Amino acid sequence: MSPMNEPLTEFERKARAVLEESLSRIDGRIRSRLNQARHAALEAAGTRRRAWWRSLTLMPTAGAATAALLVAVVLWHRQPAGEPPVLEAQHAAEDMDLLADSEALELLDGWDGPFYEWATAQTDNVQSEG
Amino acid sequence: MSEFATLASPYSMPAALHGDVDLTDLEAQTRSRALNQFLAGVELKAFKIAQAALRHEDDALDAVQDAMLQLARAYADRPAEEWKPLFYRILENRIRDMQRRRTVRGRVIAWLPFRGDEDDDEPDPIAQAPSPEPQPPRRLELEQAVEALEKALGELPGRQRQAFLLRALEGLDVAQTAAAMGCSQGSVKTHYFRALQALRAQLGELYV
Repeated sequence: MSPMNEPLTEFERKARAVLEESLSRIDGRIRSRLNQARHAALEAAGTRRRAWWRSLTLMPTAGAATAALLVAVVLWHRQPAGEPPVLEAQHAAEDMDLLADSEALELLDGWDGPFYEWATAQTDNVQSEG
Repeated sequence: MSEFATLASPYSMPAALHGDVDLTDLEAQTRSRALNQFLAGVELKAFKIAQAALRHEDDALDAVQDAMLQLARAYADRPAEEWKPLFYRILENRIRDMQRRRTVRGRVIAWLPFRGDEDDDEPDPIAQAPSPEPQPPRRLELEQAVEALEKALGELPGRQRQAFLLRALEGLDVAQTAAAMGCSQGSVKTHYFRALQALRAQLGELYV
């Protein structure tokens, strides 16, 4: 008996010769299909490799896009916190009300600053004496 | 220009690998060529091994094709020395999957009340017809030996048959066979030894 890593025995050599003979009998249809299968496999390997290379060529673009996004995020966080958009809209509505209200505009026209300052001072004095 | 100029040789690279594709990388081209050579070298033996296990030409072809594709997709970048055990490991897995599926299908079909007796895979009577050419005695002797060996191989348990074919047909050593079969080297030796014993018992008269 031959362990597998030792030279083949006579029986094994004959069996091998017969097996090789059986290979030579494989017909053209099967050989052709095997040939097609091999080419399909090689094409698949080539496609996979190309896809890998393509992903490498896209890396600079992807890197630039990521960097731009990072910069945008950093700048956004540095901006002072403004009023929320809801409040801004509320102020705009109030301005519109003021412009639409004619009495309020008249009050603004007759604005007498010094009088109001004097009246406020008088009120403060009365409160401090009392 | 000759009409034969357009025909590719059976071992040439597929058009997609050298024509319309920018394979600038020389290493990739060399690797594709090496893979092509490797697959061309194993395809017939792989088919024979698959056929011995599945006993069906088209199933054997499918198994070999799947193994080729998987090797090319997943392991083409591995060192070329690893390809052979990897390829036969993939092929063996594929054969087992197909055998399992076939067993399940057989069980399902056995439950079906109406099943046609006609078989799509009936042998072609023209292909089966004996050749009118007289065969020389040596040729006949070889043919008988091939038939007897294939029959004996078909009766071996799967693991024994695999160990024998990987060794005798593909020429793998114990370590490579163990890697291809996914078992220990000791198991490989046992399977191979038992396969040899069984084959000798059946074919002794023909082979001595």
